[in-house]
Amino acid sequence: MSAGVAQSGTVDLPLGNVEEQFSASDTRWYRLVWSSTKARVGIIMLLGFILVAVFAPLIAPYEGTRTDFAPLLPPSGEHLLGTTTQGGDIFSQLVYGARVSLLVGLFGGIAATAIALVIGMISGYKEGSLTDDILSFVTNVALVVPVLPLMIVLVAYSEVRGVPLIVFVIGITSWAGHARAKRAQIITLRNRDFVTAAKFAGEGSGRIIFREIMPSMTSLVAAGFVGAATGAIGAEAGLSFLGLGDPNTVSWGTMLYQADAQGAVAQGLWLWVLVPGLVLALLITCLTFINFGVDLLSNPHLRED
Amino acid sequence: MTLLQVRDLSVRYEPKRQASLTAVDRVSLDIHDGEFVGLIGESGSGKSTLAMALLRLLERPGRISGGSITFDGHDITTASQDDLRVRRWRDIATVFQSSMNSLNPVMRVEAQFRDAIEEHSDLRGDAVRDRVRELFEMVMIDPKFMSAYPHELSGGMKQRVNLALALANRPRFVLLDEPTTGLDVVVQRSILDAVRRLQKELGFAVLFISHDIGTVMELSDRILVMYAGRLAEEQPASGLVADPLHPYSKGLLGSYGNPRAETVRVTYIPGRPPDLSRPLQGCRFAPRCPEAIERCTTVEPEFAPLGEGSVACHVARLQREPGPERVTGLPEPTRVFAGPEFVKTSEESDLARQAPVFLKVDGVSKVYERRRGLRVQRTQAVSGVGFELRRGEVTALVGQSGSGKTTLARMITGVDRPTSGSIRFTASDGQDIAVHGLRGRRLRDYRRHVQMVFQDPYSSLNPALPLRYALSRPLRNHRGLGAKEADSMAAELLETVALTPSSRFLDRYPHELSGGQRQRVVIARALAADPELIVADEPISSLDVSIRAEILELLQQLVRDHDLGVLYITHDLLSARLLADEIIVLNGGRVVEHGPALEVIRNPADDYTRTLLEAIPQPFERVG
Repeated sequence: MSAGVAQSGTVDLPLGNVEEQFSASDTRWYRLVWSSTKARVGIIMLLGFILVAVFAPLIAPYEGTRTDFAPLLPPSGEHLLGTTTQGGDIFSQLVYGARVSLLVGLFGGIAATAIALVIGMISGYKEGSLTDDILSFVTNVALVVPVLPLMIVLVAYSEVRGVPLIVFVIGITSWAGHARAKRAQIITLRNRDFVTAAKFAGEGSGRIIFREIMPSMTSLVAAGFVGAATGAIGAEAGLSFLGLGDPNTVSWGTMLYQADAQGAVAQGLWLWVLVPGLVLALLITCLTFINFGVDLLSNPHLRED
Repeated sequence: MTLLQVRDLSVRYEPKRQASLTAVDRVSLDIHDGEFVGLIGESGSGKSTLAMALLRLLERPGRISGGSITFDGHDITTASQDDLRVRRWRDIATVFQSSMNSLNPVMRVEAQFRDAIEEHSDLRGDAVRDRVRELFEMVMIDPKFMSAYPHELSGGMKQRVNLALALANRPRFVLLDEPTTGLDVVVQRSILDAVRRLQKELGFAVLFISHDIGTVMELSDRILVMYAGRLAEEQPASGLVADPLHPYSKGLLGSYGNPRAETVRVTYIPGRPPDLSRPLQGCRFAPRCPEAIERCTTVEPEFAPLGEGSVACHVARLQREPGPERVTGLPEPTRVFAGPEFVKTSEESDLARQAPVFLKVDGVSKVYERRRGLRVQRTQAVSGVGFELRRGEVTALVGQSGSGKTTLARMITGVDRPTSGSIRFTASDGQDIAVHGLRGRRLRDYRRHVQMVFQDPYSSLNPALPLRYALSRPLRNHRGLGAKEADSMAAELLETVALTPSSRFLDRYPHELSGGQRQRVVIARALAADPELIVADEPISSLDVSIRAEILELLQQLVRDHDLGVLYITHDLLSARLLADEIIVLNGGRVVEHGPALEVIRNPADDYTRTLLEAIPQPFERVG
């Protein structure tokens, strides 16, 4: 990844006068992201998922948690994808499951990014000091602790189940790698002249880190967030698949868990397994596609001219 | 014999998301065997694009949109890359601008020579090694560095290696694109001397591109002046000095003054080059031209022979070859650029040296320690330096890189602390501050009195924040102003540095401004705290020669109006002489000479000062 100071690519061209430069600066971030075909596909797909999640009660014919249908019905007009062994409507579960995945992706991503930002930025800015030593030590510990067993232990021993718990566990277990990246990035930025200039302007450390340096890292923070959200969605599905999800809500992970527990594949109920797995893969793919567009922001060399 | 013939060459940039523009527009030139041709112009004039086109190294979105390039009788305008590969480095070689990046960092230097030599000759094995040794001796580098990696060489050595590499296959034509930009004056001088000597000995032709007219004038036989993508003038070097035809050439020449004179005068060219992505009418230089007549704004002048050279200027042509028709308002022929001027007289300096002392540096040393495992590596950056700065006086700290001048600046501004010695500052309210022990809040308070102007205006302004933010922060922190007051004060500051009307600039981002405008903003930000001392670290070295005097004048005006003291740090004695009342010469961390500016320049007592002085290009003296 490059240094990531946005819009440094325009200086090579002969400068016209100020007005023209202003109107000609066609490099607004949303246009750049949109200019990548992959990102465009990803954004449209993600919008689709969001619409489904928001309008789930309108789209799904039944409540996702209802299990009073006849079990093992084949796909039909009333049950588009058939029913489960417990008599749940697979299509409705699928639609409501999108809500959980997106919520966990959003909040898990935010939690991991926020922790990574605060710890990474402060330790990078104070590189070489005692503060950095302590924060780096914590980061390193968090990096070497095996994440999945830790998550399982945390969830298994907690009293309550549910989305907030999953978000919390994902947040505190998956920030370390991102914190490392932020620390490295800020070390390259903090010796820039404009940071020294901010010190001369009488700014304190907090303001320098979060007002002066962070805007130059926005694209990296955005890329980190998309990555963290992808990871959170995967982690939620994984935990639920292991039976650690909330039994009172429906998510794609719990669908897979139940399908597996009931031996769906052995019984030839392949739709029950395939469909939640497929949408999960699609959601993660579209987030990865979006990251291609976000990469254009942080790395001007990738922009096609 | 004509070696390189260029006819009506045009290069267009057609990026997807920005307006397309013609960076090189119908340029024709000839270079003969063994000739040394200089090409000068401001940044953005299209000289580097022309160079890339000649080498056929243009990359998208740029392309040759018209005209032809003929090398040694072969048309290479549309030749395929495979055909060109045979010629490159055998017939046509080049030295690029960034010496730091054009050597492969993971290959030993000798291997890089070996690649180039074996590709184009029958030399193998030890014969190649002998050839490389010979080349190293040619550029005066100890052959023991043949087995070094590029990072083990200094900047100057790398550029010499690049030069040697360019000459490896005895090319007939070498293109030098700003080969010494970013290097120290003394190193620059030695490389240019080597270029000229080798060119005389080996007889290759050179196209030497630079924005620094002084060095080009000294070296070249013939000079091309480029402006806004077109050739403005072509003349033998002596002719250009004695009788410049185009006002733009006069403007570029005017940016050099004689440092030894009692009163130094340097002109600068106001305004900026035109935006090439818009339709242009008339002469492209007319809006900045002090000699423009009515015809200049409507009819584009043809580039055609006049006297010994060629020129694209109505005024020069009418003055020398009056046609049948009468043209009113034609100015008198002149050799100087009738534009704005920067003047420094010696009386002003005498007066400034009477002012009271407000910063005392006494016996200051700085040792940097680097820990490598158990060993500690010590570097003595500054040793036992002492001097005084006076209110309202400009003191120049002159020296090469590594002389300790930047370390001193960092200690005076409180960024670093001296290992021993003291720095004391007396504020205007009588407060005595021991700078060498400051930290935390007291350091922040000290910066109300002392501010800094940075070298590179491209990196010292935050690209993500508008000017309004950059200017209002020091106002709020140091002067305790509220948001509204800070806003109106920020506008006032922009007016002070002549960015008017300020309302047009306040919400701009740095990337929308030119280098000169950015440096004005940096100066405005330094002024925001209403400081008593400004430390300016090479504030003009990254700017075009043609606008340097503009920034110097701004600094001088601020000294006069605000009773500021300025510590001006530079490697360039000429600009030190222009701005400073007093000069301190540093070498190897020690003061080797200290005195009134004019005195130091006229009667240098130290050998090192003399070396620095000799490195200043003197285009006027060579010819006469």
